[in-house]
Amino acid sequence: MLLQTQLPQWTALGPALILAITALVLFVIDSVDPDSTDSALLAGVSVVGTLAALGVAAWFLAAGTGQVGTGGEITLFRDALVVDGMSLFFTAIFTSVAAMVFVASYDYLKDRPDQAEFYSLVLLATTGMALLASSNSLATAFISLELTSLPSYALVAYLKRNRGSVEAGLKYFLIGALSSSVFVFGISLVYAVTGSLLFSDVASALGDLDQSFRGVAGIGVLMIAGGFAFKTASVPFHFWAPEAYEGAPAPVSAFLSSASKAAGFAVAFRVFVEAFPIATAVDLGIDWVLAFGILAVVTMTLGNFAAATQENVKRMLAYSSIGHAGYVLIGLAALSAGAATNGDVLGASMAHLLVYGFMNTGAFLFVALVEHWGVGRTFEDYNGLAERAPMACAAMTVFMFSLAGLPPFGGFFSKYFLFASAIGAGFWWLAAFGALNSALSLFYYSRVVKAMWIEESDGSFELTSRPIGLYAAIMVAAVGTLVLLPGFGPVIETAQTVAAALFG
Amino acid sequence: MVPAQWYLMLSAAIFCIGLFGILTRRNALLFLMSVELMLNAANVNFIAFSLQWGNVTGQTFALFTMALAAAEVAIGIGIILVLYRNFRDTDVTKATTMRW
Repeated sequence: MLLQTQLPQWTALGPALILAITALVLFVIDSVDPDSTDSALLAGVSVVGTLAALGVAAWFLAAGTGQVGTGGEITLFRDALVVDGMSLFFTAIFTSVAAMVFVASYDYLKDRPDQAEFYSLVLLATTGMALLASSNSLATAFISLELTSLPSYALVAYLKRNRGSVEAGLKYFLIGALSSSVFVFGISLVYAVTGSLLFSDVASALGDLDQSFRGVAGIGVLMIAGGFAFKTASVPFHFWAPEAYEGAPAPVSAFLSSASKAAGFAVAFRVFVEAFPIATAVDLGIDWVLAFGILAVVTMTLGNFAAATQENVKRMLAYSSIGHAGYVLIGLAALSAGAATNGDVLGASMAHLLVYGFMNTGAFLFVALVEHWGVGRTFEDYNGLAERAPMACAAMTVFMFSLAGLPPFGGFFSKYFLFASAIGAGFWWLAAFGALNSALSLFYYSRVVKAMWIEESDGSFELTSRPIGLYAAIMVAAVGTLVLLPGFGPVIETAQTVAAALFG
Repeated sequence: MVPAQWYLMLSAAIFCIGLFGILTRRNALLFLMSVELMLNAANVNFIAFSLQWGNVTGQTFALFTMALAAAEVAIGIGIILVLYRNFRDTDVTKATTMRW
């Protein structure tokens, strides 16, 4: 097989470059024919671009680009960007989610005049995510975080004549602007005490930091953690999520809750592991592992309890997505200095994010399908839906049980490995809280299933169409969720190998 | 040279003024101005410590921050415009079709 090492070094950024170029191609198409409503062309170009990026990322991952076997991580632009197994793994997550969202948007956006903007904004945000997973300096981390966030604000407010969408966009923007200023202030404090922005230099400067500066360093680290909490929708910056996901067009909710969350975790993993190594941080009295442990428990508990009280399916999914952020935070909370289990824990979190990318995107796209039909948004409105659309409802059942972590689906293994790795690392209390919350989550996920299959419909709606794009995207997500059960072995192995390299 | 802690106090003060503005103002435009204050507080730190450390990393970052702040305002004003068209107001507490 052709290895990436035989190509020039910059080609390691291939996936991000392909995404950026596709976004620009869409701008060109739009400027040639601004009034076009040709969904097939726009969605087609976007899907081809993201699949190409996904293919390149998967090829690099399989060929071992940036991994220990082929000469270690590839650093570019004076170490500001790094391509390694972890960045490629995350790029694969972002591009798969984006591809499903594009296929679904083909129907969702049909006949709207401003489609090209939608597709190019999603592509630019995906580019930002791919760069975010590769950033090796606080400067690139901040800029690619903004490249991810700015298009997302516009996308949430995309339905500009819909009050809910605009309100959601406003709230997302306000909290986002606040949290990015907190984030950049945190970076400035870390720069103040270390004099550098590169992760490795920050880590070594923190290692021989004067104890009198540790207060400033601590506040800086805390503020940076706040910035990530916003991006991943974790406590204490989670409250934008229900509003933004409920008000936004459903494909955008799918994109934000799966890809954007994974992007936040990608950069959080790298920043905390590489720039603020646990041993150094604990010496300085900045015990971020404990902080993330508490946040993980609070986030999953709050997300699941709030989800259980919702009447609106989309809002329930939003809170469930907060709950899942709590599970993934275990990846940062069950680490300990120099432990051999660190790679396992972090890898299990990454694998969960991959499975979550399929099942959660699928669930939101099902909501998109239901919105497309004009059926209401509450649990009661879903009554008897399975009689009319058994295929889509079967897929939704797969997503719901997988999100809850029931055995025959991908979500079971990813949660199982996550909790097992936490126990293996000696953090049994995290696993216990996770398992309790999963049990609670079964309650509200099964409410959807019960409404669709068992309840009688009141016969007030007619399903007029069978949108091909939405159906195809939902089926891909469902097949992905199912295939990830037998296919989970290679996934977890790859994830844990590339995560272990981060600690090396 | 002015001791470093004075710069830190200045930037912390600007940051807190911005935060106070965010917590007390209801007009979306004033909210944007407060966010700008907070971003510029970080810039003060970057430039001051760029001098202290004798490298230009901080100054470069301050330029990036300014460019991104401008981009953020552009998006923000756009959202506030559609907010005004839909709700006839720029009061952030008026837009409540969903509960918080």
